[in-house]
Amino acid sequence: MINYHPTDKQLRQFAEGNISSALALVVASHCDVCVQCQTKVDEVNSELASNIENIKAHTVTDPAFEKMLASITQLPVLDTPVQKSPCIELDGRFFDVPRPLQRFVKKTGNWSKLLGKVWQAPVDLGDSSMAHFIFMEKGGRVPEHTHRGTEFTLVVNGEFSDGLADYDSGDLIVMDDEHIHSPHSNADEGCLVFSIVDKPLQFTSGIARLLNPFSHLFFK
Amino acid sequence: MLVGISLENKFTNTSKPKDCAEEMSALLMEVAAERCKRSYAKVFGYFAPRLRSYALKQMGNEALAMELVQDTMTNVWQKAHLFNAEKGSPSTWIFTIARNIRFDMLRKLQNRKEDICSDDLWPVLCEQTPDQNEVSLDQQVTLQQVGQLFNNLPDKQKAVIEAIYIDGKSQQEVADQLAIPLGTVKSRTRLALQRLKDMLEDHD
Ligand SMILES: [Zn+2]
Repeated sequence: MINYHPTDKQLRQFAEGNISSALALVVASHCDVCVQCQTKVDEVNSELASNIENIKAHTVTDPAFEKMLASITQLPVLDTPVQKSPCIELDGRFFDVPRPLQRFVKKTGNWSKLLGKVWQAPVDLGDSSMAHFIFMEKGGRVPEHTHRGTEFTLVVNGEFSDGLADYDSGDLIVMDDEHIHSPHSNADEGCLVFSIVDKPLQFTSGIARLLNPFSHLFFK
Repeated sequence: MLVGISLENKFTNTSKPKDCAEEMSALLMEVAAERCKRSYAKVFGYFAPRLRSYALKQMGNEALAMELVQDTMTNVWQKAHLFNAEKGSPSTWIFTIARNIRFDMLRKLQNRKEDICSDDLWPVLCEQTPDQNEVSLDQQVTLQQVGQLFNNLPDKQKAVIEAIYIDGKSQQEVADQLAIPLGTVKSRTRLALQRLKDMLEDHD
């Protein structure tokens, strides 16, 4: 069951379109699977729409509008092709991904072993942030770390815990330098997440600290 | 060229929003079905000036504002068939189109390189995808056989299978009821059916 939702403020910013692309992507993916948040966004949408309707607009006939109307009605109808839903594949298992992530499935690189029972595949978002699908097999664990920037994680399929809480499919988790955690999955089916970080992670305990100088390699 | 189509704006704020929404819905459906320019001109006459005021506030520049109005209203003309009155009012649909175009315009102006566009984030203008991933059990299986094996499924899979195949709920209803994503319901269903199939084959 989904327990971790975007804040109301984030949902409003999402509806307004005043939001960073990275946050928008995970909020959109969350809303794709969370009826509750989708309903909230729909409500903000109609509120914003009625604001526009209530704008005092000139009722004059503007020559620029006449021209625009004429040129628009010259245009043909556009058919929007129905897109197939691509799945993420790992070791013969197929995972459905939320609609907003589907276009990025073909921009996803090969799976590589990150550590122990943790696998990752880089996703090219075309910018400097680092996005990955990460799969934790049962018993897989990412060493304890904090964040130099912000980390957005969306649980695509499965369950995991991180020492702070337990998460399930659809949960959206936002972490920054105030959080230290160590994601691990004890679920039989493991756990697939989508994660975006804007700065490399900072490992905080034991031998994993040795990873810090290389964390940009691991999470890139 | 525009003889007979005047840009009148007779849907002023005095008419009730609900009546206006119904009238606009009907007009949009005529645009979708008949390519009716007269109906479109009425929708345009109502929304274009309002969108311009919104866009001016958002973009702070007349040229950009008019570009936003033009792109938004072009989508309304070309994709009127994607408007679905059951999902929301015409003004909400048109606002979300404008919001998307503004998002892409601003990112282009800021020279942002990420390959994330509004269509990914807000699926306002895409058709719903049909589900191609259904798995069905072969007919020959007896209810008794399934019943026995069903009990061997993990609890979570059992709950989903029970809701769908015994209570006859749709996958979406199950997702809503259990507050889990639709994709999870689908994969649990698929997994459970696959397991049942495997068990049945072993059974033989
Ligand atoms: Zn939610």
